[in-house]
Formats: sequence, structure tokens, C-alpha cells
Amino acid sequence: MDPQTGSQPSQTGETSAAPPVRNHRQGLTQRGSARLKRFAPFLALVGLALVIGVLNPRFFEFNNLIRIANLAAIPLVLALGETFVILLGSIDLSVEGVLAVGSVVISLLVRNDSNANALGWIGPVAALIACAALGCLNGLVHVNLRIPSFMATLGMWFIGVGLATLALGGSSVRVLDPGIRALALTRWLEFPLAVWVALAALGLTWVFERFTTVGRYVYAIGGGEDLAVLSGIPVKRVKVIVFTMAGALYGLAGLLSAAQLGQGNALIGSGRLFFTITAVVAGGTALTGGEGGVLNTLVGVLIIAVLANGMVLLGISPYLQQAVQGLLIIVAVALSIDRARLKIVK
Amino acid sequence: MLSIGQVSKAFAGVQALDDVSMEIGENEVVGLVGENGAGKSTLMRILAGVYTPDRGSLRLDGQPVILRKPSDANAAGIGIVFQEQSLLPNLTVAENIYLGQEAEFVRLGIIDRRRLNDAARRQLAKVQIDIEPRTRTSELNFAARQMVELAKALALEERTDRHLLILLDEPTSVLEQRDIDILFARIRTLKRRASFLFVSHRLDEVLAMSDRVYVMKDARVVAEMPTGNATVPQLHQLMVGRDRHAEYYRESRQKPPSPKIVMQASGLTVSGVYKGVDFTLRQGEVLGIAGVIGSGREGLTRTLFGFLPQTHGTLQVNGQSVRLTSPSQAADLGIGYLPRERRVEGLVQPLSVAVNVTLASLATAKVAGLINPLRERKLARRWIEKLRIRAPNVDTLCLNLSGGNQQKVVLSKWMNARSRILIFDHPTRGLDVGAKEEVYELIRDLSESGIAIVLTADTLEETIGLSHSILVMRDGQVTARFEAPPGTKPSQVQLIRHMV
Amino acid sequence: MSKMRTDTATAANWLSLGPWIRTSAPFLVLIGLVAFIGILKPGFVSIDTLVVVMADTATLFILAAGVTFVVMLGGIDLSIQAVASLSSVIIAVTLNRAGYWAFPAALLAGLAIGCFSGIVHVWLRIPSFIVTLATSGLAAAAALVMSQGRSITIGDTGRSFLSWIIGRFFGVPNVIIVAAAVGGIGILAQCYTAFGRYSTAIGAGEAATWASGVAVNHQKVIAYALSAMLAALAGILLAGRLSSGSPTLANELLLPAIAAVVVGGTAITGGAGGIGRTAIGALIISVVRVGMTFIGVNIFAQQIVFGAVLIMAVAATIDRTKVLIVK
Repeated sequence: MDPQTGSQPSQTGETSAAPPVRNHRQGLTQRGSARLKRFAPFLALVGLALVIGVLNPRFFEFNNLIRIANLAAIPLVLALGETFVILLGSIDLSVEGVLAVGSVVISLLVRNDSNANALGWIGPVAALIACAALGCLNGLVHVNLRIPSFMATLGMWFIGVGLATLALGGSSVRVLDPGIRALALTRWLEFPLAVWVALAALGLTWVFERFTTVGRYVYAIGGGEDLAVLSGIPVKRVKVIVFTMAGALYGLAGLLSAAQLGQGNALIGSGRLFFTITAVVAGGTALTGGEGGVLNTLVGVLIIAVLANGMVLLGISPYLQQAVQGLLIIVAVALSIDRARLKIVK
Repeated sequence: MLSIGQVSKAFAGVQALDDVSMEIGENEVVGLVGENGAGKSTLMRILAGVYTPDRGSLRLDGQPVILRKPSDANAAGIGIVFQEQSLLPNLTVAENIYLGQEAEFVRLGIIDRRRLNDAARRQLAKVQIDIEPRTRTSELNFAARQMVELAKALALEERTDRHLLILLDEPTSVLEQRDIDILFARIRTLKRRASFLFVSHRLDEVLAMSDRVYVMKDARVVAEMPTGNATVPQLHQLMVGRDRHAEYYRESRQKPPSPKIVMQASGLTVSGVYKGVDFTLRQGEVLGIAGVIGSGREGLTRTLFGFLPQTHGTLQVNGQSVRLTSPSQAADLGIGYLPRERRVEGLVQPLSVAVNVTLASLATAKVAGLINPLRERKLARRWIEKLRIRAPNVDTLCLNLSGGNQQKVVLSKWMNARSRILIFDHPTRGLDVGAKEEVYELIRDLSESGIAIVLTADTLEETIGLSHSILVMRDGQVTARFEAPPGTKPSQVQLIRHMV
Repeated sequence: MSKMRTDTATAANWLSLGPWIRTSAPFLVLIGLVAFIGILKPGFVSIDTLVVVMADTATLFILAAGVTFVVMLGGIDLSIQAVASLSSVIIAVTLNRAGYWAFPAALLAGLAIGCFSGIVHVWLRIPSFIVTLATSGLAAAAALVMSQGRSITIGDTGRSFLSWIIGRFFGVPNVIIVAAAVGGIGILAQCYTAFGRYSTAIGAGEAATWASGVAVNHQKVIAYALSAMLAALAGILLAGRLSSGSPTLANELLLPAIAAVVVGGTAITGGAGGIGRTAIGALIISVVRVGMTFIGVNIFAQQIVFGAVLIMAVAATIDRTKVLIVK
């Protein structure tokens, strides 16, 4: 050490301007395995499709692909909403309840068989607003009362189903408005309008995720909430926005469900929650937050849709679907768990 | 430029900073050194806006500033490069550099990524590092990430017309020599645009890089000097000060240990944390382990209780070769652990003293297979008496006890379990002087009754005063061993030479 | 009320009440509700009505008692309704052929499923709500396959084996006795066994319990196994009372069961409360349900009420000092 100049002779003998840093990446294998992990769901989807296609070539028929797309439309919309909540590191269990409310609101406002309303386009708008409001409530309760998201949304699940049941007096109502039904029945370029609606939702949420500040903040919060807070990010506001958006998307799914079934009822969403979470997780979005995104969710939804379709084509009992999904969710979560983040798991 | 005026800060009754004053001028690198707990990191965090001082003032260019949150510090031109990194691994480099400040790149609600990346490129150029701003941060190695943090701190230049002050918190602890050289070269060139406060336990580096250096000890500034003629031994002397009176540590009660070996380590290694550690521990012996943060001593302590199983080497307990993979395995072998984080790992706070006392030895409270509350309370009462725990009764919830009494409850838990080897991890942390002395007495009592103790103490003084023998560690290896019999104890300076 | 004098202290928290109030609040609420409904409709406070209420509560309580063990640890079990339904299906399908052996078979199925949940949770470090959500799918699938998707009515031969469920013992419906037995054993286990003690400790401070040498992972598996086994028992009782088994028999019971736990005062964060409190909580839920019908409140509004009550009860009992970052 040279006390005069205060400089430390380096091993190459240089004392002042050192060359710029060149190799600053992690080891090749480390990066390689991280990349592989991120592509695994897509590879799984492709693998699955190939296996089914080999066992039953009818899988690749165009009509079947349309069937798969149709099968995936509503779950995709639901999963898009759930994706952002999970990216935060939280969970939204209110899917079925909010969806029910959406289907009921629209069923009661457009032309139906239970009252004299025929409010046309006001129906969908009102449904979306109502569901967004429920989502917003989820967010506010979670953030202000500091209740874990799964509890707050568990409560909202049943409030939603309850509201829907109350509004319909326990029965169901048939949708008679042709415009709404068209979403399910009319096709454009061979695919039902519902599929296009779902794709539009995908596009919008992708832009949100990649190009808006709030979208990036979602990742920051999921990646390190304490750090995000210290960086001045308005964490509470972002969380409420995410839950509100999720609510709106569930409402959209409710709309599509009402179109598909031609009716609205309180149990229309029964069983959807399981599928939704499995899809998000299977697509590679980590439960701990900060990793994944809507494109991952698309892959996840397709995996499950392909599985469901494949099981029918291969003659496997539909009763086993839930079992397969159950195993899938365990495998997907187990693979995605970042063991470096070893904290107490409850 | 920056004036720190008589700043004081206390946490839960413990004084972390006491009347600290400092000056940092434009374009200088100021070093800050001191032992663990001297107050360096508290001071850094006050400057970073994470804590606020209880008393005292901060002035920038003569004007008083109040920093209530990190963004205030940023606005004041203060950036910090933490030891535990503060970059979000799942975001890109550009996003990390501008985290929270994206507004200038947003148009109609959409982020203009091209402008964001270009701006990030300009910041990265300041530290002369060639990284594509669109790279995911998790893909960079440690040294590169540190450069990004530096660039992030420098990005403040554009947001404030104040002079920049960049705080470097132990920046070289995990770097290889080559990367250290690069870092220092960058800092030298950056001196033109910013001042630096350089905190490190590597005294030679501090003297090499800084223009002036401050020495802190026990929450105060004890010296300040230009680095031109300063030497490392000089700093050693200042960092440790007088040695305490022998009886404070009850040295007269220190008896030689019995020859029976209860624990032995040979080549004990945990990859990336510490390596090649050898020691023997005898019945009745107190083995002290000295070292700064990052020396590997915390890891070693955790290994001995099953939190961090060794990757290489052997550990023998009572003659049996073992690999401890969980605390329950260690406890079954008669080892007990008094953790550093007493409130989180030592006691189940919301539960009573009685419950905590029997938690590691529930069988002692059972009759015919079921827990007998009367027996449990009797046991708890016995320990309260024996250790003089000040609690109204056995049902008192542990969270209502003072630090010293909580520590005694933790100890009684292991004594009730009849542990023969105890690991004390920072046992007097957060305790007042009276409570500390009680702990020292207890350690002597335990030692006399044949219990072996591994001690990772808060201060060098404690380590020297209480131990029979001392292991000194630095950067993951044992650098020295000392015997510390009463009357001929090694001095702090002797130890610190091997720690920093 | 739990005999253990444990109480989770909450830090400065505008919803926290004094410790004494928190301990006795559920009981007072119960008395108050009964009184309130009794005033509006005096017929409510008759022995007959109250016995019916308690009998209705029995199954709910057993379900909730199981999940209480898991909640005490700080986890949750979302598979109880699927396990109960599966259990009812097993009974319905095997009763005729296997006679009394059907009952242990159903309980064993529950035990196996619970062990699976616990082991996966502990070994793969997957959060409990995800694991049990997945397990619920597996249990539901098993029930669907076994029943071929239909509800199965139990024939006369089978019904003879179920007489013990619908019978009475000195005028007290047997289900109440079973529930009381479960409650009694549960409270005993909680207060006087190592398992009970460790469960509370894990919920109140997992890090310290782990660092005290307790085999935390074993405890967790046992808790999940117990939860599922009690869910299976509840399924057996349901099959008995309805004389049928179906894969969706217990689906409506998930929310009330969790609500019973929370409303009774057991914190969702774990470490405080217990079986005794769950009993009170279950009674409150039942009283509200039956009471609402008695008074004439729209039954469709009940779900909404439950949802809101659940949220409020959680907000009041949660220990916010435990969770610095709420996710």
C-alpha cells in the first residue's frame, strides 16, 4: 500500500485506471438453469400436446383447437385477474363469488325472463363496475384492516355468492338479450367472440404489465415489498388497484359465463377457483410474487384446457380432472419454490 | 458540506449513538471504523433516512435538513450502497436504477422503455461498466450488482442540485481482490462528482481509500485524523480503549476446566461461510469465538445447534461423530442454545414463563403421559427462585418481562432440560449493566457445575473476560487461538489484530 | 373456554379489546344472541329447540374442531368439506357389504389424506392453503369416482348400521354425545398432551419452538391428519343423518366451519384459542342460522352475513404483531 497516493497496487500492477468490468454475469450453468425454469411450463404444454396428439390425432383437428380455445376463454379471463394478485405475493379466493355477481347483474339488467329490464349495453358496464367495486373492497379491507388477503377474499367469496343468491331469491334467471348471447354463439374467423374478448383482455393486461408504472410496481412489491416501500412506491395504492382490476376481470368472466350458459345464477362459478389458481401456478407465476406474468398464465390455462380436452379424447374419466389438477398444482408450486427464500411456511 | 451535529439515538434503552459529530466535505472520501456495535451502521441508517435521530442535527451546506424517509435522503443528494444488496432481483437493471422515479419516462401512462434504458446506460457509463440495461438483475454476479447500486446512487445527481454524498456500507466484504481494485479505481475517479463515506472493518482498505478517518467506539466518536500518516495499529488502539476491571467478569471465579472433552471439531466447513475450523471443548470450559460480522463465527454458532449443517469436516459430540441437521437433534444430544434474537427464537413471547421453561423438556412436567400443570408450575417456580427471575408469577407472559429476565427464562429452559453444552449467542445484547453482571455470574455457576459453553459475545471485552480459551476468526477462517486464564488474559489489541 | 390461560396480546391495535373482554366476548355474544332471539320469538328458548340447535351444531363442531388444530399452528385446511363428502360416499358405498367396517374405513381415508397434506406441506414447503386446496381436489375426485357423480341413498340394510347416529341416549341425541366426546378429548389433548402444547407453541412462536428442539414438522403432520380424520367423522355423521352420501354433501360447510373457529376467538395467526372456543363459535353460527330463520330473515342473506361476520371476526382477533408484512 502506498500511503502517499493512497492507492493499492493491484495484481496486474496497475495503480490507477483499471479496465472496465467485462465478465459480470452469473455462471453459465446458473443462468442456464434459471432460463430453463422459466421456459419449463411452455415446454410442458408442447410436450403434453404432442403426447395427446400422438395418442389421438383428432387432437390437432381445427375443430378441436376451437374447442380448446373456447374451453380456455373464461378461465383465461379469470386467471388474468388472479395473476396480478399473485404477482404481489397475495391470493384472491373471491373469484367464484365475484363472477357470480357479475353474471347476475348482467342477467338482471338486460332482457331476461324475470323482470322487465332491457337496458342493453348498460348491463355489461354495470356488471363490470359492480365487480370492480367488490374487488376494490377486497383491496381496501386487506390493506387497511391488515387482514391477510386469503382471509379477506375468502369472506368476499361468500359475500359475493350471498349477494347473487339474494338478488335472485335462490333461483336463476335466463338471459334473453341476443347481443349478450352473441358473445358465445357468434363467431368471427371461426372462433366464438368470447375467445376474442379473452384475447383482448390478454393484450390489455400485457400492456399493463410491461409498460405501465403500476404494472412494474406490482413486480417490485412481489420481488421485495420492504424495499419497494423504502423506494417510495405507493404500495397500498398499487395493491388496491390490483384487486380492483381483478374484480373487473372476474366480472368480465361473469359476463361471458352468462352468455355461455344463457343464464345467471349464484353457483355459476362453482369450482372455478381451483382451476384459476392451478392455471396461474402451472404457468410459472410464483406464489411468492414477483415472478411470472400474463403470458405465463396463458400457457398455464392452455395446459389445463389441453389436459381437460385430452382426457375426454383419451376416454379418461372426467371425474379425475380435479385429481390431476390437484397434483399439477403441487408439482408446479414445488418446482417454483425458491428455496433460498427459506422462511417459515404456514 | 455535510455536518452531523451531536446526534444521539437510542433503541429500547440501549444508546446506539451518543453525541456524535462529524464533517464530510466536498470531493472527499471519509472513512468510518469501529467495532461491532460502535454505532457505525446506526449512523449510516440515519443518513439514509431509515432512522431519525433522537437529538442532534444534520446540516447540508449549512442548511438544516430533516430526513424522515429514504426519499428525503435521496432528495438531499444522499445515496447508499448497502452491504445486503438493495436491488430487486426480478427487475431489469434500468428498472432498478430508476425504481420509484419512473415518472420522467412516462407518457400517457406508458413507460418509454427506450428512454429509460438510454438513461440507465448513461448512469452505468459513470461507473464504466458495460452492462445491457435490459438485463435481469438476478443474472448479474455480485460485483456487477454492486456497480449497479453505485450507478443507482449516482443517478441522484440528476435529481438534485445538491452535492452528492454516497454511503458505502462494507462494500468489499464479499468481493474478490480484482473487483475491489476496480471499485476503488471507480471511486477515485468519482471523487470529482461526489463525496463518499466509507465504512468497513478492513482497516487497510479504509486507510488506502480515505482522505480522513473517524473512529467510533461505544456509540461515540473517539478520534478523527487524516489518513496520510495513520497506521492500522493506531486504529486498533483507538477502537478498543481500556481493558475493563477483572472482577466485572468475575475472573476470580474462573476455574480450569476438567480434561474431559465434550465437543470436538476438525476441519469443520460450511461452503461459503467458514472453513477448516478446529477446536476442542471440555467440560466446564468457556470457549469464546471472536470475529466481526462476516467472519463466519455466526455461521459456526448456528452449525453447533443444527441450523446450518456442515458441508465438510467432522463434529464430535460426547465422542460420537455427528452432523446436526436440526435443533431437535442437537437438543437430544444435550446441547442447548440461547439465541441472539431472544424475542423471536428464544422465547414463545405470548405464552407464560411456565410454558417456556418446560418447552424443551416437556417430559419433566408429565405424569402418566399427560402434562400435569401443578408439576409444571412447581418446576417453573423452582427456576424462578434459583435464577432470581423477576416475574410476578409463573403465569406471567414472557413478553412482559424485561430483557434480562427473558434471558434467564431461556436459560432455565435449557437447565430444565439438563443440557450439558450451552451455546450462548450474544447473551448480553440489549441488557443493562446489572442484568449483564447477573449473566456473567450465571456463566461462572454453569461452568463450575461442569457445563461447557460456547460463547459468541457482543464485545471483545466480554469474550476475553469470560473465556477459558478464544478462537479468533476472520473472513471465514480461524486466524488465531488464545488461552485466557485469569490473571494473564490477552489484550483486546492482541485479538483485534487477527479480526480485521 | 380453553383451560389454558394463554392469550395473544395484540399491540396498539384499534380493534383489540382488553384481554378479559377478548376471552369472554364469544361466550357473551352467544348468550346475548340467544336472549335477543328469545325475546323476539319466545318459542326459541325451549328445550326442544335448543336440543335441535345443538344437534345441528354437532357436525359443524366436529368439522371445525379438526380445523382448529391446524389453525392453532397458524395454517388452514381447505380440504375438510371434500374429505367429509368423500367419507359420506365411502359409507354409502360400502355400508351394505362391509357393515361396521365401513366406519373405520372412512376414518382411515381421512387420516391418509390428512397425512398426505401434512407431509407435502412440510416436506415441499408449500403453503397450507395451496396444499389443502390441491388435496380437496384429490378428495373430490376420489368421491366422484367412487360415487360415479351421483348421490347415493343408503338402503335399509345399511341404515341399520346407522341407527347409532340418529338414536338418542336418555333423550340426548347421540350426535351431541359424539360431539361432546370429541370436544372433551380435544380440550384434554390441547391442554394436557405434548401435541396440544406444541401446537399452541408453534402457532404462538414457531421460530422459538423450533429452536427449543421441538420436532415441529412431526407436529404439523399430526395436526393435518387429525383435521382430516375429524372431517371424515363429520362425514360419517352427515351420512347417517341424511341416509345418503354424495361427493358434494359437505360443500356448503367449509365457510361455516372456518367461521366457527374464528368467531369463537381462535386467531387465524395461531397460538391462541382452542377447541373450547370453537365450540362456542360453532354454537354462535348455529344460533344465528336457526335464529335468522326463526325471526324470518331472508335465508339468502345468510351467506352475506357470514362473509361479513368472518371478516370482522378475523379483524378483531388477528395478532398484527406477528405479521409485519401482510400478504
